[in-house]
Amino acid sequence: MSRLDAWAKASGEARYVADMVLPGMLHVALVRSAVQHGRVRRVDSEQARAVEGVVGVFTADDVNRNTYGRSVRDIPILAGEKVRFVGERVAVVVAESRRAAEAAAALVEVEYDDLPAVTSAEEAIAQGAPLVHDAPWEYAGAAISQEDGHNLQSRVTEGSLTEVEAALGGAEHVVDRTYSTSSGHQGYLEPQACVASVEDGRVRLWVTNKSPYRLRTQLADCLGLDPASIEIEPVLLGGDFGGKGSPMDAPLCVELSRLVGRPVKLVLRYVEDLTATNPRHPARIHVRVGCDREGRLTGMALRALLNGGAYGGFKPLADVNLHGIEDCAMAYRVPALFVESTIAYTNTVPRGHMRSPGAPQAIFAVESALDELAAEAGLDPVDLRRRNLPRTGEPSSHGTTWLEARGLETLEAAVKHARTEQPEVPPGWRHGEGVAVYVRGLPGPPVTSVRLVPAPEGRVRVEVPIPETGTGSHTMVRNRLAAELGIDPEQVEVVQVSTEELPIDPGVGGSRVTVGMSEALGRAAEAWRRGGGDEPVAVELRPGDSAASAPVVCYCAQVAQVAVDPVTGQVKVLEVLSSVDVGDIINPAAHQMQIDGGAVMGYGFACLEDLFEEDGQFWAANLGEFKIPSTNDLPRLRTVLVEGGQGVTSANVKPVGELANVPTAAAIANAVAAATGCRIRDLPITSEKVFWAIEEESAR
Amino acid sequence: MKLAFELNGAPVETEAEPDALLVDVIRGLGLTGTKEGCGVGVCGLCTVLVDDLPVSSCLYLAACARGSQVWTAEGLAREEPELVQAFVEHEGMQCGICTPGQVMAAAALVRGCPGASEAEIRDHQAGNLCRCTGYQTIVESVRACLASR
Amino acid sequence: MPAADVSFSVPTSLEEALAELAEEDAIALGGGTSVGLLLKNGLIEPQKIVWLAKVPDLRGVAVDDDGGLRIGAAVTLRELAGSSPVRTHAPALADAAGTVGNPRVRAVATLGGALAHADPRQDVPPVLLALDAEVRIAAPSGERIVPLAEFYTAFMETALAEGELVTQVVVPAADNRRTHYVRFTPGSEDDYPTVGVAISIARGADGRISRAVLALGGVGPTPLLVPQARELVGRSAPDPGEISAVAAAAEAAARPSDDQRGSARYKKAMARVWTERALHACLGEG
Repeated sequence: MSRLDAWAKASGEARYVADMVLPGMLHVALVRSAVQHGRVRRVDSEQARAVEGVVGVFTADDVNRNTYGRSVRDIPILAGEKVRFVGERVAVVVAESRRAAEAAAALVEVEYDDLPAVTSAEEAIAQGAPLVHDAPWEYAGAAISQEDGHNLQSRVTEGSLTEVEAALGGAEHVVDRTYSTSSGHQGYLEPQACVASVEDGRVRLWVTNKSPYRLRTQLADCLGLDPASIEIEPVLLGGDFGGKGSPMDAPLCVELSRLVGRPVKLVLRYVEDLTATNPRHPARIHVRVGCDREGRLTGMALRALLNGGAYGGFKPLADVNLHGIEDCAMAYRVPALFVESTIAYTNTVPRGHMRSPGAPQAIFAVESALDELAAEAGLDPVDLRRRNLPRTGEPSSHGTTWLEARGLETLEAAVKHARTEQPEVPPGWRHGEGVAVYVRGLPGPPVTSVRLVPAPEGRVRVEVPIPETGTGSHTMVRNRLAAELGIDPEQVEVVQVSTEELPIDPGVGGSRVTVGMSEALGRAAEAWRRGGGDEPVAVELRPGDSAASAPVVCYCAQVAQVAVDPVTGQVKVLEVLSSVDVGDIINPAAHQMQIDGGAVMGYGFACLEDLFEEDGQFWAANLGEFKIPSTNDLPRLRTVLVEGGQGVTSANVKPVGELANVPTAAAIANAVAAATGCRIRDLPITSEKVFWAIEEESAR
Repeated sequence: MKLAFELNGAPVETEAEPDALLVDVIRGLGLTGTKEGCGVGVCGLCTVLVDDLPVSSCLYLAACARGSQVWTAEGLAREEPELVQAFVEHEGMQCGICTPGQVMAAAALVRGCPGASEAEIRDHQAGNLCRCTGYQTIVESVRACLASR
Repeated sequence: MPAADVSFSVPTSLEEALAELAEEDAIALGGGTSVGLLLKNGLIEPQKIVWLAKVPDLRGVAVDDDGGLRIGAAVTLRELAGSSPVRTHAPALADAAGTVGNPRVRAVATLGGALAHADPRQDVPPVLLALDAEVRIAAPSGERIVPLAEFYTAFMETALAEGELVTQVVVPAADNRRTHYVRFTPGSEDDYPTVGVAISIARGADGRISRAVLALGGVGPTPLLVPQARELVGRSAPDPGEISAVAAAAEAAARPSDDQRGSARYKKAMARVWTERALHACLGEG
């Protein structure tokens, strides 16, 4: 049975936020900062106000001056005295049509007094650097204190550097390398959008946001409203990949609707999505790792420095950091481990989450370094990994003992299948194979709510709090509930309801939807059966309701096959094989697309995607320049499912959404090194980088 | 200016600015299956057929469609449901924002190159980006569209 | 988006089109893939948009008895790629047209529009340069013919004066000519080339090379000709040293800038590599 929204989507019937029309609705266009860092001296909106159809032009003086954020609340609704990045919202036009609003916005003149700017994380944390925020520790939810240093959003450390240095002192082989990754973007294709209506003190919102219940709290906190007065309506999302978890322009749109007394709609132009929302953090990561004579890892120190941009409020975790960096060595036994992740404020676009936040960057560094260590030690890179993957029952490098550790099986399956069918290599090109491994833990105990309601003709209506972001979550709910109740999936109707209808949910993200929903549906089905199915059944899982979930992890090992033209440096990724540690699979087609889509996104991160950031501005500001993979660019994709894993809930599931995009870059970098003898430590791996590396190598 | 053309087989007459874009005119008529994504003719979300040829309606001036036959996913779903059904059956979508455009691109291929090879399918569909699926099911869907003829 | 005090006209004859284009702030519209983008971003604010698709004189591909081609300026890239006379007499031109952008671009973008837009990263102009193409330009005052080699004057600028219109591209016939075009796209295949190399080699009855033209795209403010290809004239089978010398001249002639598709240094190096490869392909069998 196909996914439940398939026909609506393919026929164009499906409605997204940008398709919403409310009676009397006005349109919004933003005026964005042209400078990296400056004081706003004057905003001249006279010409803009004269444009036919313009209802109002507003600045920070007109809106709530509180700041907002997912954790630290440091983002202003409109920049006030100061702008902190090129693209920041400075003023806004509301008009009868989008055309009028955009025409008028282009006529708003803003004068700035330039301030010295910092546009890289390195500059930002250097002594005497200009300050992006004068006292960032004073923001509500700040994760740093004044003593931590200037221009810091967050600094997280784990383990003892002294212990690692002692361990590395006794190591037989040590490598010490620095890796870097570029500015990328989630690349969802639906621009961010918001429709807001404020009437008689009641706020209704349709917004490209995947965490409606959290959004309600964030808005209430910022605007000083009673959460009960805010209703977030159900929406369909046109892709997320981590980019649609923040309030973004919702606080502004609420303020505008209040000011003009009519509903308002803002749909970003894609250039705004690419340059002024919350793209991926560029990173510079230093790894020191050593092993003994047998190739057993003795210690690792990883220090990451990330450019967090002008605001930290787009990151949801309380430490305002990225868990993918913190978990960088989880796949292996590492007796002595030190991890430090520093995120700096800079005068560039604020950065947010993207699919396995921090992990693609960190795993690129760690898995590249392991290959470099293997080379140093004269070991086969697969062998080195074999010797260091923990077996079931052994504690991981972070001290946890998992229910099962299937890293070795997953790696062996990857290597075995990759080598059964060698890809064809063009004549004159060099072939290389590269391996990389990633492991991801499960989210914390499930928190969510659902309701089952009897529907006509013996059908069951299941009301869920989460929007369908594209993963097939609603179809998964249908299939899972049908299985729990032993009925035909056709008999199940899945509906996202507004925040008025259900009590709690943390939103889509953190690979938690399938796990959380499976748990909630299991309980709901039980109650439904007990009650005979005549009455509605509501299930609410609050924090602390469930015991800490079993320490379950999922491994993903990838093998990349590349061909390199040694004359031009051109890299063709011939194949990416993903081996995935799975439990039971609720929807095989959707599960496979998480793997395929992940691997293609990993390939894009590895080889193509770069916003070409220079001095806080992006040169690749549209999809003609910021290239994401197309059908012409695809490597051959293969998948091996390592079945029989022990997952969680009665459905025995393991998350899959944030796995296959992570190890790809390292697998490709390792394959390129195997093909050419040249190590590319800076993503993306462009042909030009390979070309100069080969030139340099042959000049030696 | 007045603008008359055929939309999904039915005549329409509407008012449009001389430099209005086709995507805005179509959406203004309530047919929101045609989406605007990148806005620069690259992503393919706004693909429609004008006289059987695929165009990026985000760059195509509506005035150029005067007197033409314009088809969108909504019309195709009615008149050639087997093409839409191919995407349903082969799960050629996830978030769905690119899907009407993918379907319209497939419709263009069915018209212009019904015997397209595997390489031709990939090259043709390369004009329509998808960030979710990894494209395997989209290529299968397009293959099924061709096979439906 | 500019305020809308603009008009749209659809002339049905060349005279009408030229008369309208002579008006102040009038702009010619081919398929709109460039003009649409410029309009949308407020980079141009014309008073009048003159759409050329319905002008019969600008349509179609005519073949002279000797195999020369006269291609109307409003011919789309899709039509060019699928045109059987073009496939027969200048297959590299058809191939190049078939690789531009995506099917939606090719369905509407016109040859005349591509030339007038003069983006130096395009695929078709180097091939036309290699084919010794000429451009027919009309204005209400009369007509002139400009070799394509003189058409491009600076970055995104052409020899077109106010009110002038490209009406036709003439590709002269040549006996025993082979043309080869390669586009090097080391990142995404769906991108402008880092370098495009077009080479055309004609031979006399004795088998010796009678004309050799080498043109580069993407590595300068305009498409570039590399005159040193002339050194191959008179040879029947140039030796690797001679081919390398032309490739080195291509590297020297290239004047690229740093951008997303490579540094200037890399593009120059690639101009050499791909010229060498294109020459071997064009001179070789098959």
